[in-house]
Parts: sequence; C-alpha cells; structure tokens
Amino acid sequence: MKASRVILVTGTSRGIGRGLAEHFLKHGDTVCGCSRGPATLKHRRYAHWELEVSDETAVVAMVREVVRRHGQVDALVNNAGIAAMNHALLTPAATARGIFATNFHGTFLFCREVAKAMVRRKSGRIVNFSTVATPLRLEGEALYAASKAAVESFTEVLARELGETGVTVNAIGPTPVPTDLVRNVPEAKMQALLARQAIRRFGTVDDIANALEFFLSPRSEFVTGQVLYLGGVNR
Amino acid sequence: MPQSGNVSPERLRKLILATLPAAQRSGANPVVFGPGSELDSLGLVNFLADLEYRIAEEFDREVVLASERAMSRSRSPFRDVEALTAYAAELLNE
Repeated sequence: MKASRVILVTGTSRGIGRGLAEHFLKHGDTVCGCSRGPATLKHRRYAHWELEVSDETAVVAMVREVVRRHGQVDALVNNAGIAAMNHALLTPAATARGIFATNFHGTFLFCREVAKAMVRRKSGRIVNFSTVATPLRLEGEALYAASKAAVESFTEVLARELGETGVTVNAIGPTPVPTDLVRNVPEAKMQALLARQAIRRFGTVDDIANALEFFLSPRSEFVTGQVLYLGGVNR
Repeated sequence: MPQSGNVSPERLRKLILATLPAAQRSGANPVVFGPGSELDSLGLVNFLADLEYRIAEEFDREVVLASERAMSRSRSPFRDVEALTAYAAELLNE
C-alpha cells in the first residue's frame, strides 16, 4: 500500500491536517482533503473539497467523487476537529452541539461512507483522531474530551464490526501540538498539561505522522480497534 | 451510461437482482434480507454498499439506502426485491 496511496484527510486547511497532507504528498501519495474554507495547499496530487464534515450530503458526494476519480480510498485520516476550552457550566448548548457535530458526527459520516468503499475492496485503513485530553480528564475541556471519548468508543466498536472485512480502524491521541487549536489556551494551563505526559514537550506533526504510518502500514493488518496516545499518556 | 431524471423501476429492479447473491435471484420476488436470505448482517452491509455504488454508476445519483426513513418503517424496505425497488425508486425520484 506504500506506493501511490489514495488518502482522504479531513481538516487540511491548517494545523495538523495540513501538515499530514504535506507529509503524504512528500511521500508520493494522492491526497483528497477537505475543510470549511478553500484550499491552502496547491499540489498536482492534491484535490480539495470545501464542506462541513457534519453535512451528510456533502460528505457522501465527496467520498463517492473520490472513489469515482481514483477507484479506491486506501486510507481515511479523520483529523478535522474543533475545541472550545471552557468550564462545563459555562458552555452554551450550541457550542456543545457544534463540537459534537464536527468531532463525532463528522468522524462517523466519513467512516461510514469511506468504509463502504473499502469493504467492497476488502481492504483499507481508517485512523480517527482522539486527544490526550480524554484519558487525562482535563478540566476546562469537558465537551472536547467527551466528544473524543465518543470517537474512541466508536473506533473500537467499528473495528469489531469491520473486523472480518480487511478494513482496520484505529485512533491516535496526540498531545498538544502548537496549532491554532491550542493557541488560546493559557500558558500555565498548557505547561500543567505537558507535566502530566511521560515526555514533557509539545508534539509535532512528525510525531503524529510516525504513529499514523504504523497504522497505515500493510504489515499492520492485525492491528485494529486501538487508541495510541502520544507522549506517554495512558487511559 | 449514467441516466438522470426519473428512474425506471424495472431498471432498478434489474440492478438490485444483479447485486444480490446469485443463489437468491430466483422467484418472482426474491427475498433480500430476513428468513430465506443468504445475507447475514455483514452481508446486508456489503450488499447495500455495493448497490449504492451501482445506483450511482447507473443513474448518476447519490443515495444513502440505510436512511432514517428506512430504519423507522414498520416493514423493512430491505425485505425483498419488490420492496427495495419501490423504496430506492422513492429515494431517487425525490
């Protein structure tokens, strides 16, 4: 699967998603990306869709167009996510709905549609995105952590539902990476978070790409339903 | 050749029959899922995924067959070819 893979990555306009898209392009893959806004990446092997990941019609149309163009999707990287740092008691219901719409429903819709194509070919790799905020039970991130807990649970069950189909489903739980997502978190809070990791530093896109490539490897066909946290964090 | 506009139930029925396992294609109204079907739940998943792609190729239209409407019906639209043809035509002709 290493040569000329077709990889669908969500949330590619910035941050980790953009970094991962660049990683795959550098390694010769074809990347189909999406985000709410226009593409920020230009490459002959990159195609972009402007959509909300929680919009079922748009997700169905994108995935089927990707399959029509390329005949397959080798891997799905469900990176798109939003966070809203706030005390649970101060979180508006609309914010909670928005977090779950992007982080959970978006992940679910892409998994459902891409898995349909993968099941037909009896092969594929799905990697969802969790966070260390979930196992660390971070105060101030209740809704974000809860939405990612839903992603973890979904990943584990979907892995079992697809267990005999040749499609693996895993998740990565990155530590904070200096991106827009964590830009508004106070410095003291961020340092306290890093102090709870075994390896106390920010993560990098390369750290994530390394874990991702493990799950995407053809040799990882016996690895499914796993959540891999970076930085030495445990559930 | 993809065809847009209203879909012919007969073409849809032929497509459904061609997607069903060969052993299940006989009779006036073959069973799709349930007693008498070869499909287990994973088989139904594969069948519906395959059918969605074949419908897109044939009619140039995207449908999600496992919709809320399908799941909330008292009689499953996936029970036999006739029911599935009527249900898929309904989705495609919306």
